[in-house]
Amino acid sequence: MNRIAVRTSCVCKGFGEGESRTEVLKEVNFEAQMGELLMLVGPSGCGKTTLLSVIAGTLGVDRGEVEVFDSPLHRLQTKEVTQFRASNIGFIFQQYNLIPTLNCIENVSVPLRIQGATAADAEDKAAAMLETVGLGKRIRHRPNMLSGGQQQRVAIARALVHDPKLIICDEPTAALDSENGARVMEILRGVAARPDRCVIIVTHDNRIFRYADRMTHMEDGRIHHTDNPETGAMERQ
Amino acid sequence: MNDLALKMLLGDRAKYIMLVSGLTFASLLMTEQAAIFCGIMQWSGSTLDNVGAPIWVVDPMVEQVNDTEALRDTDLHRVRSVEGVAWAAPFYQGVLRTRMRDGSFKFVQLVGIDAATFAGAPAEVVEGDLNQLRLPNTVILDEYGAQKLSRDPARPIAVGDSFEINDHEARVVGICRTRMSFSGNPYVFTTYDQALQYAPGTRKMLSCVLVGAAEGKEPAAVARRIGQATGLKAYTRDEFFWLTVWWFIENTGIPVAFGATVLLGFVVGLAISSQTFYSFVLENLRNLGALKAMGASDRVLARMVMLQTLTVGLIGYGCGVGLASLFGMVVLRKGMPPFFLPWQLPLLTLGAVLFICWMAASLGIRKIRQLEPAVVFRG
Repeated sequence: MNRIAVRTSCVCKGFGEGESRTEVLKEVNFEAQMGELLMLVGPSGCGKTTLLSVIAGTLGVDRGEVEVFDSPLHRLQTKEVTQFRASNIGFIFQQYNLIPTLNCIENVSVPLRIQGATAADAEDKAAAMLETVGLGKRIRHRPNMLSGGQQQRVAIARALVHDPKLIICDEPTAALDSENGARVMEILRGVAARPDRCVIIVTHDNRIFRYADRMTHMEDGRIHHTDNPETGAMERQ
Repeated sequence: MNDLALKMLLGDRAKYIMLVSGLTFASLLMTEQAAIFCGIMQWSGSTLDNVGAPIWVVDPMVEQVNDTEALRDTDLHRVRSVEGVAWAAPFYQGVLRTRMRDGSFKFVQLVGIDAATFAGAPAEVVEGDLNQLRLPNTVILDEYGAQKLSRDPARPIAVGDSFEINDHEARVVGICRTRMSFSGNPYVFTTYDQALQYAPGTRKMLSCVLVGAAEGKEPAAVARRIGQATGLKAYTRDEFFWLTVWWFIENTGIPVAFGATVLLGFVVGLAISSQTFYSFVLENLRNLGALKAMGASDRVLARMVMLQTLTVGLIGYGCGVGLASLFGMVVLRKGMPPFFLPWQLPLLTLGAVLFICWMAASLGIRKIRQLEPAVVFRG
């Protein structure tokens, strides 16, 4: 298993105009493979989240190429990128971003509803997914009735319910204690074990580094190196 | 996604109530004030309803039904001679002072109708006998007058009672039901000849000529023919009503006063709803950003926002128009203030409310369009 899931080539992205312009990504070449859990790490402001946004198709690039499952996101129209995200990408956010006025099952069914599923079908699948993440008895609870760990598991269920191939996670354990963090990572580890999936996690949380297949280190808008925590192998860019 | 949009809206109870309240208030104010305005306009032409003549012939200088510029007696015969006229009857109207037995006095709208044909007689005599109006010094008083002219509210004036009009005895032989006059004076019906006895004598006394069109003839065509043949102004009932309404619109501050209140209702509704809905969108921006990141298109999100505004708009509209109707039912029972709710009015209010919803939704949709889905990755 060595198929490329995500590839960026010479990606540049900056913000602002004139003297206040800041180049956040500088000629970034990045790869993530199918069946792996890759962590993107580095100091604050190094461009991790911007790279994640570019890979997720939520942010366009100034220059360079972005391919996700062989689809050239940099060449697609906004509408096409939106459709691509709906079908292929699951999101897990640091602040969970669950809709507070919807209960768990409604929150989890959102990606399916976006794809046009009926409420009944979407809720059946959402209930099954909540069962998978251990929240089968809390499907009618609203987010504010759950702990942080439980909310993040609801967010994971939401990210997985439409069976996306790429899971994008932004600091998924930052707001969780060790126990809940470990539980969330076990679930994500299980997701990445499937050969047709790829999980990319941006994190500062060194408690979860051991779950990574590979870790890509960024510094000052560039990929510094990628290493394998188990084998210790390192490739510099 | 529509049901989720509604759950998002209803879940934020405080904002939802605020939005519905704002639109209820706006709908209530716009409908109720406009209905009172329509009621006043209806009162302005109430003589036309209380005196049911198809065609009214007046002096060319008369601008509306409450205007009086007397005709010559011979004009009645000239009108009668016009082709297409089935009947023509003299008519007197004027505001006269009455004096009660205890010495108090009040003003009344005196109406003098033709004793032979009773053309222009009140349509609904609720007590007494219209035919007795042919007896000397007799009048038929409307229900409002029976209350207003009585010193004792517990005992309205009844058939058999009498009072004075311009120092002449007026014996009540009937009570009729009429629409209130714009001036608030009660209607007192008597015969044309008797009215001339009551009214202070002047050279010309004929206020107007009431005309009926011959069978098969269009009143409007007959009115035009009368105008051409006599040089007088002849109007159908509807023409004279709208002439009166426009006169009041152009010559009084009534439309401005009510228009300002209706506008205020619209502006307040627009301001409250737009501001509240915009803050609702702002508070949900992160959630909307998450939906956008997950693949919800701008179109889907715009539809959700539109549905949310339409929902609060239609609920607010229903509550507002419902309350205005309730107000109308109460005041119609009391007879004050004037209230008339034509079917066009709720439709106009609906249009205004939909415009408010569209404006409020547009602000939210604009914000959503500008929203980058990447915002969800920013702490």
